[in-house]
Amino acid sequence: MFSEQAAQRAHTLLSPPSANNATFARVPVSSYTNSSQPFRLGERSFSRQYAHIYATRLLQMRPFLVSRAKQRWGGGVQVKKLCELQPGEKCCVVGTLFKAMPLQPSILREISEEHNLLPQPPRSKYIHPDDELVLEDELQRIRLEGDVDASRLVTGTVLAVLGSARDSGKFVVEDHCFAELAPQKPAPPLDTDRFVLLVSGLGLGGGGGESLLGTQLLVDVVTGQLGDEGEQCSAAHVSRVILAGNLLSHNTQSRDSINKAKYLTKKTQAASVEAVRMLDEILLQLSASVPVDVMPGEFDPTNYTLPQQPLHPCMFPLATAYSTLQLVTNPYQATIDGVRFLGTSGQNVSDIFRYSSMEDHLEILEWTLRVRHISPTAPDTL
Amino acid sequence: MADQLYLENIDEFVTDQNKIVTYKWLSYTLGVHVNQAKQMLYDYVERKRKENSGAQLHVTYLVSGSLIQNGHSCHKVAVVREDKLEAVKSKLAVTASIHVYSIQKAMLKDSGPLFNTDYDILKSNLQNCSKFSAIHCAAAVPRAAVESSSSEKFEQSNLQVSSETPANNELTTNGHSPPTSKQIFQQPKGIMGMFASKAASKTQDANKETKTETKEVTNVFSTGNKAPGKGNVMSNFFGKAAMNKLKVNLDSEQAVKEEKIVEQPPVSVTEPKLAAPTGLKKSSKKAEPVKMQQKEKKRGKRVELSDDETKETENMKKKRRRIKLPESDSSEDEVIPDSPGDYEAESPSPPPPPPSPPPEPVPKTEPEPPSVKSSSGEKRKRKRVLKSKTFVDEEGCMVTEKVYESESCTDSEEELKMKTSSIHRPSTMTVKKEPKEERKGPKKGTAALGKANRQVSITGFFQRK
Repeated sequence: MFSEQAAQRAHTLLSPPSANNATFARVPVSSYTNSSQPFRLGERSFSRQYAHIYATRLLQMRPFLVSRAKQRWGGGVQVKKLCELQPGEKCCVVGTLFKAMPLQPSILREISEEHNLLPQPPRSKYIHPDDELVLEDELQRIRLEGDVDASRLVTGTVLAVLGSARDSGKFVVEDHCFAELAPQKPAPPLDTDRFVLLVSGLGLGGGGGESLLGTQLLVDVVTGQLGDEGEQCSAAHVSRVILAGNLLSHNTQSRDSINKAKYLTKKTQAASVEAVRMLDEILLQLSASVPVDVMPGEFDPTNYTLPQQPLHPCMFPLATAYSTLQLVTNPYQATIDGVRFLGTSGQNVSDIFRYSSMEDHLEILEWTLRVRHISPTAPDTL
Repeated sequence: MADQLYLENIDEFVTDQNKIVTYKWLSYTLGVHVNQAKQMLYDYVERKRKENSGAQLHVTYLVSGSLIQNGHSCHKVAVVREDKLEAVKSKLAVTASIHVYSIQKAMLKDSGPLFNTDYDILKSNLQNCSKFSAIHCAAAVPRAAVESSSSEKFEQSNLQVSSETPANNELTTNGHSPPTSKQIFQQPKGIMGMFASKAASKTQDANKETKTETKEVTNVFSTGNKAPGKGNVMSNFFGKAAMNKLKVNLDSEQAVKEEKIVEQPPVSVTEPKLAAPTGLKKSSKKAEPVKMQQKEKKRGKRVELSDDETKETENMKKKRRRIKLPESDSSEDEVIPDSPGDYEAESPSPPPPPPSPPPEPVPKTEPEPPSVKSSSGEKRKRKRVLKSKTFVDEEGCMVTEKVYESESCTDSEEELKMKTSSIHRPSTMTVKKEPKEERKGPKKGTAALGKANRQVSITGFFQRK
């Protein structure tokens, strides 16, 4: 659509210069509200237990799940807590899922390195046919069996299962359901075409030796320097650019300086310093022309656990002069021109990928929507 | 006329100077709209080719359009060499635009030089990189131009939290922020957070980093001629070591930046303002040296140096005084040439000439005046001396008290000290050793005093033998 629009105007640039050159005004942002306040951490305390997170999660999801279960299996189905279960009785239970994975890397095994045992090599997927599912609610937990695909589900999902308890203490599942999608608000109509550009994985500081021409071309297209008039006109319709993580490359993360001797590393800078400087220049060019939101990613200099806090503005002295630059948290939520955007830099999807058999990232993303939780594995493995 | 001019310019750039002329480079150099630059390049190529078919010109084009890849249509933008132009064009489903990207004399192997040309010209024009672009964004106004007037207000309001002066300085220079932007309020708070952490050295380093980084920001707000003064202001908080580094950075940044606004008087004005509303001790102390040192860096350096020096010598003096109080070594001390004042201040040792019966061994040894003393007893001064007096109190116990007494030097010298020093009175004994040996004295107690003082220094062993 972008290209077709762009192609509609006549090609004028392969011709002798003309005096009049069109400049286009960037579409003004009609409305923008940043709703990612919940992701900002106030003070950091490292003494919190995860149990509270799970308890809150269950508490909030319970009503949705109950209504969904009733919808699916009929209003007459009984919703019970685990402690009220009678053997042989068919009922529905709502709880958080826990998947016991023998291959999951655990901190205890890492500590065993001290005893000269081999650490577990990193794998791409940690699933195993022997994984077991356990359903936990506020007070109890019970093993699940039956018609539930353990490989697809991950720890932390809240779901409702329909089945009956056996004498052996396991719960045989006949069916299960998630909270599914919430009702959508209709998007308000727009007067002109507006585009939001999502950029991710710029990978600066990669040190690969290749020049940044590709990135520069992108910036030029967005800022309206490249391309013919048609393209520039279309580019003017880009109302926002969201840089979604991994702005720095994986190579900047090298921790050699910890392993090397001090005298070798004394005068060297971290690779990320140079990369951040390049990023600053790119951001300067972009923010001089379009509102930009910068989200941190896996390799960016901010905290590691989700929610990642915004990058610090002092890293971008040139670009922060422009108010169009916004540094935002990692799960980022905003309403841009009436459309609600919620996104992450991908760590949650790759985490789910590692612990379930789902292969397609888009499928995983859709699944998180169905489960109504961006990142069910969050406190556990993320 | 004007038309011919640019043609000649391009000709000169390409053939004579052997440059790579990209449209962006041309647009900045000639100060024209990017589209016009592209058209100029095209025009030049056409004419040159018409005139001289053997022209050694290599041209790269930019092609963009939609491409069907893996079943998805994507918008592709590519820089292609002339010989590949048609091939790429045919692959695109819809061609959005084609124009000349660059002209150069030699064939390019990869995109490196192209990128570098653009990068260089961009670096030198960072502040107005969108000037010749086809899209203008009304919202993208640099903050400095907008908010300089309200900067002072914000500096004041932002000063509440920090207790460290570097933080204050940060705020004054970074305090130019619009009220509506959350991000800027985060910035001082973020810096505040940095300083709230206890590691002072860490914050110092972080400070330095952010300082040199924000130098670029602050340079937007400062004039060129105020650079040394500004360096001064900053240098107060960093000490001499970092000052040179900062100055160098400052100068280089000045060379790069073009804008010169908001100069130092507002900053210096705010400095005293700083002192007043916050009322922090440190900041008020620093405000004075700041005022003093506004003129020249050297002068400031000297002032600072002298400040430090006096402090140091005072401390030294204090140390010496404290240590030397319990013991007097005036005979040896007088021989040593430096800091005669110390000898005067230094009191003779506390060994009392106790007339009381000496059940304690120490007081016994002390009262004996050594023979050596008489020779060097030129200086006679009355001064207050900490001496220990031994006496029997009501209950019949022997009590030794340290009491200040006013005595003349020669009389109240320490015998212990004298004995040991008479034995090994090396000429190498310097003032530094004095404090050492005397320090050992009070520490080990008067009983062991004599023995401890035998070893003046580590090399004392060897000298005796």
